[in-house]
Amino acid sequence: MKNTIKKYFKDKFSSKFLVKIKNSPSGIIGLILVTFWILMVIFGPMIAPYDATRMNLADAYQSPNTEHLLGTDRYGRDMLSRTIIGSRTIMTTAFGIAVISTVLGIGIGFTAGYFGGLIDEVIMRFMDILMSIPSLLLAMVMLGIVVTPGIFSVILIISIVYSPRTARVARSALLEYKSEEFVDAARIRGESFFYIVFGEIFPNTIAPLIVEGTARFAYSIMTVASLGFLGVGLRPPTPDWGLMVAENQDSIFLAPWTVIVPALAISSLVVGASLFADFMDKYLRKV
Amino acid sequence: MLEYIAKRISFMALSLLVTSLIIFLLLEVMPGDVVKIMLGQHATEEAVSSLRAELGLNRPLHIRYLSWINNLLHGNLGESMYMEGVKIAPLVIRRARNSALLAIACLFIFVPISLIFGALGGLTDSKIAEVFISITGLFALSIPSFVTGIFLIYIFSVALPLLPASSNIPPGTSIFQNLESLILPAVSVSLVMFGYVARMTQSSMEDVLQSDYIRTARLKGIPDKYVIYKHALKNALLPSITVIGMNIGWLFGGLIVVEKLFGYPGIGYLLVMGLQSRDIPLVEVIMLFIVTIYLLANFITDLSYSILDPRVEITKAE
Repeated sequence: MKNTIKKYFKDKFSSKFLVKIKNSPSGIIGLILVTFWILMVIFGPMIAPYDATRMNLADAYQSPNTEHLLGTDRYGRDMLSRTIIGSRTIMTTAFGIAVISTVLGIGIGFTAGYFGGLIDEVIMRFMDILMSIPSLLLAMVMLGIVVTPGIFSVILIISIVYSPRTARVARSALLEYKSEEFVDAARIRGESFFYIVFGEIFPNTIAPLIVEGTARFAYSIMTVASLGFLGVGLRPPTPDWGLMVAENQDSIFLAPWTVIVPALAISSLVVGASLFADFMDKYLRKV
Repeated sequence: MLEYIAKRISFMALSLLVTSLIIFLLLEVMPGDVVKIMLGQHATEEAVSSLRAELGLNRPLHIRYLSWINNLLHGNLGESMYMEGVKIAPLVIRRARNSALLAIACLFIFVPISLIFGALGGLTDSKIAEVFISITGLFALSIPSFVTGIFLIYIFSVALPLLPASSNIPPGTSIFQNLESLILPAVSVSLVMFGYVARMTQSSMEDVLQSDYIRTARLKGIPDKYVIYKHALKNALLPSITVIGMNIGWLFGGLIVVEKLFGYPGIGYLLVMGLQSRDIPLVEVIMLFIVTIYLLANFITDLSYSILDPRVEITKAE
């Protein structure tokens, strides 16, 4: 199993990937934007000129100047530092959601698809019902239950909300291979459920699952930002982009940069992630 | 057909039942005891337990669920827990009416614009229309509506003071006397829809134009205008109808963020406030209400799709 997966990644992510992305301008823009924010996540604390949460009322509402390149908010906190550090929460949350919702989806979808019959029917009906609640609404109410949500509870709750969608993708990917001869052969050999599903079928389904995971990453950024804005995500004084927009919204006439800066940060990351997700979709489906 | 409708309705009923159970259980385990919030921090144990009894909160969970459902089915939605003495039903109806008004304004803005742009993009070979749709479509689709809204506020309220930045309706006046406060929220939501629908219409127009029957019609010598209006347009618009229908349900969910941004007195803003004040009975009703709208919108879309497109064989569909 390890070797098949290794070979798979060697085939798809070697020089071919670079050739393909060179010919796709939107793919390059996406990759650059996402890489930029990944670098900010890693090196942010070294680059950020000030402490993101330190208040300094004497410097409140400074418009962008040489000392504070992107200005300060009503508590005199440096907007540049808050935006750089804010990338960490949103990126880790979105990445966590992409991974955990895919894992949850694989677990649910593979179980339903492999066993079929009544188990499949019951699980997928329940997933349909979960999907009939708009996802933002469900996430809001579930987050409302947690008194002070941290990054981990945000990740877990949004992953649960997304799992019906990933489960569908995983299930249909599995069904495509379920009746293949090599699966029958393994079954006749008397291999276990775990081996058949993860050793034989899973390596073939990696492409659609990666596509789904990348798309989930882009969606998660949108959802996490929206939940932060609605005040049900992370709590102040965490430098969370959605929260920053909500906190400073009433200063938009007095100090527009306090709102525009986080709004631009969200836009650049979301657009970058969607462009990259679109590229991955085309790339992995074609090869 | 009847069999299909019966099937769909029973699935809807089942969905609502399970949803109501999920919502009820979720909100019942919600910490931050309402009773303690109502009585303040210094309430005595006695006062707390007597209020709990008065509100019926000390009964077992399943009894409470059944009595809640029973009340709902009899149209008795109860009172808000946070705003004392406020009946939920008229409040929710009033707010839902405001939201519906906003949703209708959105439909009026985005449906014609995105259908026209999409169809034009599919018809002409011009790169400009295509690039315009794919770029605006991408931005509109991926940027959350509160961010689009912030940019719109900055442009149309701060930089050029043309439109109000919030939809605060002065007491004593109705939303109809403040129609200009509808514009920015409606446009923010519409942009997202434009992204979906224009892209969809464009690609289905392109598909239809390449189909055999359009080629036959053209080869028969039917004028181009006639081919487009009589043959192509109808088929090209079908998928768009599904997308629009699906979005009507989505609208009610998507409005939450925009209503909060503009302080618009709709049902989404009421939900945000209800969650913050832990007003459980109110939140439960709003959730069920939105899910019902969502399910109904999907149902109506599927039905109208099958009426418009006789090729869809509905009886065999699951």
